[in-house]
Amino acid sequence: MERRNFIKSICAATAVAAVASPSALLAKDTPKGGNVLTYDAAVAAITGGKVVTDSDKVKLTVPEIAENGAVVPVKVNVESPMTDADHVKAIHILTTKNGNARSADIMLTPMNAKGYFATRIKLAGTQDVVALVELSDGSFLRAAKPVKVTIGGCG
Amino acid sequence: MMKRNGILFTGKKVLLSLAFLSTMSMLQLNAGEQFAMSDADRAMYTEMLENNPAEIYVEEGGEILEEALGGEEALAKFLEVSEKDLPKYIAGFPRYIAKLGNVVGIDQVLQAMQVEQGKKKTKLKSGKMFSMLAYVKSLANDELINIDIEADEHIKASYALGKVTYMTARGGRGLSCNSCHSADIVGQVLRTQPLPDLGEVAVAGTWPAYRMTKSSLRTPQRRFQGCMKNALLKVIPIGSKEMIALEVYVATLAQEKGKKIAIPGLKR
Amino acid sequence: MAEARKSMIKFKPKKFKVGDVIKVDFIVIHPMETGTRKDKKTGKIKPAKYIDSITFSLDGKPFTSMKVWETVSTNPYFSVNMKVLGKGKITVDYTDNTGEKNSKSKKLKPKG
Repeated sequence: MERRNFIKSICAATAVAAVASPSALLAKDTPKGGNVLTYDAAVAAITGGKVVTDSDKVKLTVPEIAENGAVVPVKVNVESPMTDADHVKAIHILTTKNGNARSADIMLTPMNAKGYFATRIKLAGTQDVVALVELSDGSFLRAAKPVKVTIGGCG
Repeated sequence: MMKRNGILFTGKKVLLSLAFLSTMSMLQLNAGEQFAMSDADRAMYTEMLENNPAEIYVEEGGEILEEALGGEEALAKFLEVSEKDLPKYIAGFPRYIAKLGNVVGIDQVLQAMQVEQGKKKTKLKSGKMFSMLAYVKSLANDELINIDIEADEHIKASYALGKVTYMTARGGRGLSCNSCHSADIVGQVLRTQPLPDLGEVAVAGTWPAYRMTKSSLRTPQRRFQGCMKNALLKVIPIGSKEMIALEVYVATLAQEKGKKIAIPGLKR
Repeated sequence: MAEARKSMIKFKPKKFKVGDVIKVDFIVIHPMETGTRKDKKTGKIKPAKYIDSITFSLDGKPFTSMKVWETVSTNPYFSVNMKVLGKGKITVDYTDNTGEKNSKSKKLKPKG
């Protein structure tokens, strides 16, 4: 009897329930509405269908493995002189599998001096985090990185 | 089964040997690398310490302490130490406080101050108390944990009780704290997380902490309770003799490794 | 009477001069409730409550604005850079989807 208990699991099922909340962000759980868009629709809404170029100028930093899906650090650094003539107009943080693909839209100005933004987002599960960047000349750049979300631990 | 010190000890002793544990599929020997954090990831999570939401609770705790109790000045006076010595003194908790007749944690000292001032006691298990506890402990930031378990017979007894509590196998699976946190088990992966050495990760120095899975400030005793629940150990009450004894014992684990106080921590 | 929402503005580094580019960090205690989670006790869906817009201003003049969604973490943190032009006051105004408005300010004190 003892042996079977061990083999089942050392930690009770509550450990998984504790991190269940980010999964409620998956598409099937998210109410659809004007504001809630999945990834492709969100990109179309932001870019108006314009061409988006994957660029090394957009440095996206996220963990390879997120210890916890509710709090995933995201950092974006865009190479830009940030002058009136040439600056980052907006950084859009998106995710590919959350029901609502959008996390944040940041409108920067030359006063920011750097094309930088950081925050922490929720990830419903393993997926890509995307930084969609709009430059002052109207062009769009992108960088994307996968994040593996682990659900586990005791307590 | 017998009841001793309020904790149920099963008559059966279940010996957990390394070999036995390794027969279970979920405890992977040397699989630490699979889920060990990469240096880049660790850097990101370390950076998060600089923007820890718990800092807001720590700040709030300071405001509550000031308004409700008279701040550090009143605390130092109550503990009969100078304000200058207060940080180092805080880093030596839990302590035997003569006028309270018990080995106590900082939160119990705050309650005693409230009683002395004729005020209503804030519950140990309340947001207000967690914030105050975090604030007071943060006053000792950068101090070495300095619990003196030989200081008097009371702290000696508390340490002994703490060690017994830590080492005693109990509950449905016959596990003790030591079953998962002993030197030869730590590092092995259980449910995607490598089991930590409680001294090395300085539990006593980094809790209260912000827990990402709970999005809130959590105290060490509550964390112990969470772990006990998962290991099917009967949960020990907050502020009880055994819980404080456990804190004393776990503090010595960090002290042995020369760890310092760093509040608030940031945890999974 | 509702308490003012708790938040913090931090400058990094703490000491800076005119002309320096600093990091302005804003941390706020807010549930960022998605509106898709169930209350375990009542079984009812917890209503959505999340910060949806933030504006950073210097002496009343906005220099960064954000549209925020419920997918941002609970008790969130937002960080941008800013060039220090002189003494001033940084204000972060934020509203949530329920219309709750809040504000936090911090004085900008460059050394030299």
